[in-house]
Formats: sequence, C-alpha cells, structure tokens
Amino acid sequence: MREYIIRRLAYSAFTIFAIATILFVMFRMMPGDPTAQVISPALDQVAQDRMRHAFGLDQPIYVQYLLYLKNLVTLEWGRSFTSSEKVFDILVYRFWNTMLLMMAGLLLTFAIGISLGMVMGWRRGGKLDLVATVVSLIMQSAPPFITGILLLIVLSYRLDLFPTGGMSSPGNRPGDLLHFMFSADFLHHLVLPTLTITAYYLATPMLIMRDSMLEVLGSDYVEFARAKGLAPHKVMIRHAARNALLAVVTISSILLGFAIGGQVIVETVFSWPGMGQAMVEAASRHDYPVAQASFLVLAVIVIVMNLIADISYCWLDPRIKLGA
Amino acid sequence: MNISRIKRRQFLKASAAIAGSAVVGGLPSKGWAAGKPVEAQKLLTATAQFDPVRPETARLISQAAKQVGFDIEATPEDYNLGIQKVIKEHDYDLFLVRLTGQSVRIDPDVFIYKVHDSANYRAGGFNWTGYKNADVDKLAVAQQIEMDPVKRQALVRQAQVLIDADQPENVVVYPDMTNAYRSDRITDLTPQMGEGIGSLWTDVSMKVIPGSGSGYVRTGATVALKSLSPIAVNDANEFKELRMIYDSLFQVDPTGKPVPWAAESYKQVDATTIDVTLRSGMKWHDGEPMTANDVKFSFDYQKKWKAPFFVSSLAKVASVDVTGPLSLRFKLSEPYAPLLANLFSALMLIPEHIWKDIPEKVDVDDPLNYPNLKPVGSGPFKFDYWDRGKEMKVTAVPNHPFAPKCQGIIRIVYGSHDAMAAAIEQGECDRTRYILKPDLMQQVNKVKGCVGKGYPSHGFYDLSYNLMKPPFNNKTIREAMQYIIPRDLIRDVVLSGFAHSGGSVIAPINAFWHNPEVKAPSQDLEKAKKILAAAGFTWEAGKLHYPA
Repeated sequence: MREYIIRRLAYSAFTIFAIATILFVMFRMMPGDPTAQVISPALDQVAQDRMRHAFGLDQPIYVQYLLYLKNLVTLEWGRSFTSSEKVFDILVYRFWNTMLLMMAGLLLTFAIGISLGMVMGWRRGGKLDLVATVVSLIMQSAPPFITGILLLIVLSYRLDLFPTGGMSSPGNRPGDLLHFMFSADFLHHLVLPTLTITAYYLATPMLIMRDSMLEVLGSDYVEFARAKGLAPHKVMIRHAARNALLAVVTISSILLGFAIGGQVIVETVFSWPGMGQAMVEAASRHDYPVAQASFLVLAVIVIVMNLIADISYCWLDPRIKLGA
Repeated sequence: MNISRIKRRQFLKASAAIAGSAVVGGLPSKGWAAGKPVEAQKLLTATAQFDPVRPETARLISQAAKQVGFDIEATPEDYNLGIQKVIKEHDYDLFLVRLTGQSVRIDPDVFIYKVHDSANYRAGGFNWTGYKNADVDKLAVAQQIEMDPVKRQALVRQAQVLIDADQPENVVVYPDMTNAYRSDRITDLTPQMGEGIGSLWTDVSMKVIPGSGSGYVRTGATVALKSLSPIAVNDANEFKELRMIYDSLFQVDPTGKPVPWAAESYKQVDATTIDVTLRSGMKWHDGEPMTANDVKFSFDYQKKWKAPFFVSSLAKVASVDVTGPLSLRFKLSEPYAPLLANLFSALMLIPEHIWKDIPEKVDVDDPLNYPNLKPVGSGPFKFDYWDRGKEMKVTAVPNHPFAPKCQGIIRIVYGSHDAMAAAIEQGECDRTRYILKPDLMQQVNKVKGCVGKGYPSHGFYDLSYNLMKPPFNNKTIREAMQYIIPRDLIRDVVLSGFAHSGGSVIAPINAFWHNPEVKAPSQDLEKAKKILAAAGFTWEAGKLHYPA
C-alpha cells in the first residue's frame, strides 16, 4: 500500500511538471504576438520595448522558462501583465468564488442523483426509471451554455424570477464570507448557475447509483433483510443504498475535478467572477502569468482528485488488490 | 467625388500630388502583370465573436467586388492575429478594422499624421498601408507644429482632399456609439463625440431620479477592468475608468474641443512656451491640497519612467517649471499642436506625496508593475473598491469643480452584450459604458423605461489596402473600389441604421477639422466598371484583367 501511494505521488508530480511545461509552450504558441495584446500595438515602439522589459518578455525564452519553473516551485507566481497584481492574490480570490458555486452545484447534484438513483434501482423499469434516465441524458448531452441560457431566458428574462448574472446585486458587498454566503441576495444569484451545473452533471452519479443498487439488490444480504420482514424502505436505505454508495463516492472526486474545469462556461454565461472567468480573460489577453497559473491550479486539482479517488478506492474496498 | 465642389487650387494641388504619386507605395508605375488577371485578394478582418459587424461587412464588400469580376474573399481571423499580420508584418491584401472614436483621436493628428505620414510605415506604425505622398507628408508635419488652430484647420482640410484623392484606404462608414440606459432611473446624460453616454461628461452630468432606488448609477461594460495604475494604463477603455478618479489639466469637451479641467486657464506665450494656472482649492482624495509641484511631479515622473501611453508626446516637453503655488510654465522642444488634446487632456495628475516613494518603498522595481490598488487622485469621483471580475465602485466628490450630480458609479462587468442588454431590460443596470451591439437596440427600446440610442462618433470602419503590391498599388483599382463598396447597405443592414456613410478620414461630426468637400460616392457598379475600362482593364469570362 505504502509503495503504491509513493509511486502514485511520483507519477502525479511528474504529470504536473509535464503540464507546466506544456502550458508554457502552449501559451507562447498561441497565434498573435503576446505583446500585441498585452501591449497595445497602437503604442510607439519605444513604449512597447519599455513594457516588454517591465514584464521580462525581452529575456531569451529559455531564461523565461527557467524563471517560470523556479517561480512555480516557490509559489512566487509573479504579477498579472494587465493589473500588476500578484497572481497568487488574484487566484485565491477567484478560487473561493468558484468553490462556492461548485460546492452548491455538486451538493445538489449528488443529493438528487443519489436519491433518484436509489429509487430508480429499487423500482427498476418503472416510470421514474425511464423518465429520469432519458431526461438526465438529454441534460448531460446539452452543453451547459445551452442549459444556462435557456434557464436565463425563461426564468430571468421572461419571468423575472432571478437576476441575469453576477454573484450579488451591484453595490452589495460581502462583509464576512459566512454572512455573505447565507445572505438572501447571494442565494438568489446562486440558483440559476447551480441548476445549470446540476442539470449537466446529474446523469453520472444518478446512473452509477442506479446500477450499483441493481448489483446490490441481487445480493444475499438484501434477500435476507427482506426475509427478516423489514419494511421495504428500510431495506432500500439501510441495507442496499449504503452499500451501493461506494461506487458514487469513488467517482465523486473525479467528477469534482471535471466540474471545476467545466466552470469556465457556466461562469461566462452567468458573469460569475470565478477562476473560469479569470482563465478566459487571461487567455484572451495573453496575460501569461495569470493564464498559466490558473490552468496549472486546475490541472493540479484534477490530478489530486484522481489521486484521492485511486487511493480511497483501494482503502474503501478491501477487495481491490494492488498490483505487485 | 464631385470635383466641381473642390476649390480649384486644392484640385490642382491634388492632381499634382496624384501625378507625383505614381510613387505611391514606392513601386514603379507598372508594378503589376500587364494583361494578366487581377490577383484574387483576401480581405482580412476580425471574427464575429469579436465584432459581428466586421465579417458581415467584409462579405458584402466581397460579393460586390465579385460582381465586377474582382475576386475578393472575406477571411475573418482572430483579432490579434490580424493585428500582428497587418501592423507588425505588413503581410496582408486588404484589412477591415474599426478605428474607434477615442477622445485622443478627435485631434486630427492621429488620422492625418499617424495614419498617413510615410515615416509611420514601419513595424508597429499606424501607416500600415505603405502610403507615401510627399505633399501629404509635408501637410501632416506642418499641422503638427502649427499652433494657430485656424491655420492648422486649413492644413488639415487640405490634407483630407489629397488623401481622399489617393484612396490609400476607404472610410466605409462612421458607426454610431450604440448605447442604452434606463430613462426611468437617470436623466441629463450629456453625450460626448465618439464616447456617447459612456463619457466623463456623462459621468458628471447625469442625475438619478429621486425615489428610483440607490443614488449610484450602475454602469455596465462587457470588458473587465484591467488596471488601476495611471502610469501603466495604455488603452482608451482604461482611461474611461481612471479619469473619474484622476484629474488631468484639460479635458476634451463633448464637442471635441480641449477645455481647462484641473487647470483654470492657460496662456500660450510663444510657440513653445505655455503658462498654466491651476484652479484653487483642488484637493487629493486623502485631503492633501493639490499644488503646482504635484503637476510638475506628474509630468516629470511619467517622463522619467516612460509611461507607455505618453512616451512620444512627453518627449516634446522639454521642461516644466513651477512659477507659483498654482502656476507652471511648460517649455516644449518644438511646437506641438496636439498638446492640449492629446497630452494635457490625457495625462493623469498624481500626488507627489504618494508616488515619490514608488517604486523605492514598495515591493516592485518598476512603477509599471505597481498595481496601485488604492488609487488616490483628485478627480470628481473617489475610489471605494474594486472586486475583480465583478464591479468597481466610486463615490462622488462634492467639492470638485466638476462635481457629479449622482452619488457615485458602480461599474459592473457582464459576460456578453446579450447579458448586458438583459440586465438593462430587467432594471439591474442603468447605463452602458461602451457599445451595446446595434442589433440589440430595437429589443431594448421595446422595454418600458429603456432607451437604446446611437450617438455619432468620429471613429470609422476602415478598409485599408496594401499599397506595396499589386493590385492595390494600382490607383484605378482603388478608385473603382470607392464605387464597389456598398456602404449604404452596410449602414442600413449590418449596422441597423446606426451609422453614417463614410467619406473623409476626419468625420463630419468632428466639424472643426472635417473638410465638407470630401464626400464618398454611393455604390455604383456600372461606374466602377467604366473607371476600370477607361484605364484599359478588360474582362475575360467575367474576370477582371490588367491593361495590356
């Protein structure tokens, strides 16, 4: 077990290094001169050289790369080309905004997914099973920007039930985070993006829960619980569902990693000031420090989530044997 | 062009220039393949995502050109890539770009000198067509050093005639600034040329209707705020936000004329000496008084650290001397006519007591890398906060000479034009800062309490030709293009009527500098064919061929 974990950690570290390098190369291969976007071509050559120097873009590319790797390790991620703020500060602020939305979306996804999946498995072939499968698959196939825009058009633009975007009303600022999180204004703004995330990711936990239920329902101990004369809902929840949950738990961390990446679209549709929005802005402005760091943070989250999934799987389920 | 309307002298001069400008583009008079088909051309422009107007306009031009046997193909590409190819590498055939009507472009220097002087044909220069006309060069330089506005006006107007006759580019249309606001929330919006109701003059003039909610005007934008540094700022959108907080000596007024702002008065002693007196009682937002020393410091500091936006104009300022607590004398290294409009009206005044320690006492080695997260200026609005990606809030300063009539402004970022339009319709946003897509105007106007309107601008959609190679080194082709471009159709269909048909590089709305004698024709394909035929062009199987 210990050897396995060490090996997985080493793989992950190497993957992160490889991603960091790919990111460095990728952003520099993007069409257009970075300086044309960060540094307006409308400026004089002298002014452009001046800015290039300030950003360190006048250094040879390998020097830029070595500096980049060094800064990566020391968590000294430099300053944004556009606002001159420290990249770290920008990302911390953006990260929490993303997490707020993410957590709300995934909690709802799992709550609905698990309960529906449980009932669907219990009443296999029933009306609910059929309808929920079809609907969730349709929602999963529709890109989140379609779902998001449809929700906006109907519930916001037409019926005026929800705001059109943002995290809170203009001028309404969080005092402290906890207070803000439970303010009516924030929750009001949270509804539509949360629904969009839920609609998109619902199918995965729901169908896995359903399949897992079916597997568990065929087992002897469920048969035995029924034979004991327990009430059906007790058998379903206590005996079947609790065991069936294992499969959902293991995919949850992978789903979380994916969902954070998927935030880019949801945040753009709902003008949500999170990491996804920061990534789009930074990439379109060739703001290398911010773009590189935000993509990297994302990659690290996905890798760490995968690592946790792998490790937790063999920890939760003793039947999994580790390769020699 | 209606020749009879041009003064005879100007016409003669123009003809002489044309005769002399067989050298336009620096190629010999026959730089094309005689008798061969005219080469197919690519019209480079931005993608619909960047600006929906451009690919549509490019397609209409392409269709029209094909009708006279001239193969032009619209090729929308990433904006940055286009800029790179055109401005930096000069590797293109035709380029359709929007030269926006920023206030620094009201002064004719940009459109006459920067765009047309042959010295600006270089990597990164604004004369990317390769235009070269010795007479225009002379006028472009002369207008820059002519300090008498009336004499300068004559030079600028003359240059427009010459440029129009050479057609190094075509001014397709002058698009309006399409803005929207809630008329049930705010009144007294003073628009400015080129900036519509997103201007500083609107910021200080608008009033919130009592009882309609908060006294803060919620101003929407689709572009996120980039920086709060008055030193590092390098694009016109950033200026719009920062000049609420920072004063400058002058401001360009709604009609395009520079007027004293933080300055009370100015006097031109001679062509290179200007005396400026500051208003008394001006204060920095931290309570310190603003003095002539601060102004001198602002100029010296930005010159020393080469503030990118002002590098070239500050080079013309030889010295700034304090002559009294509120008075200064500026010495120029040479006369510089755009001084008031493009330097005094743009350079932001910064407090010496704060910036003297930057970068020494902060953790950066260059002021360009200083984020200035708590800006202290002397402007009509005081900075409250900036939540990145969300909003910035500023509050009115009641004792400012141009004290705002509203309580303050909250600048909100929206993910798209559609989201911003929806926010206005829902009453979540009171006013747009920049353009709202023209095709959303109609929809906005259907909602009670919402107004969508076009405000005239001196900016334009510019179709520039690469004059350094065939076929556009051939003047006849450029002349014919004038009659090929369906500018009225573009105005009415692509821009939903929120535009004016093009003509001179100085727009009619910029009345003082505009030459009313320069007019562009409407589309007339027959006329285009006649012009080409008269110059010996022929058609084979419907394709245009060079004269044998």
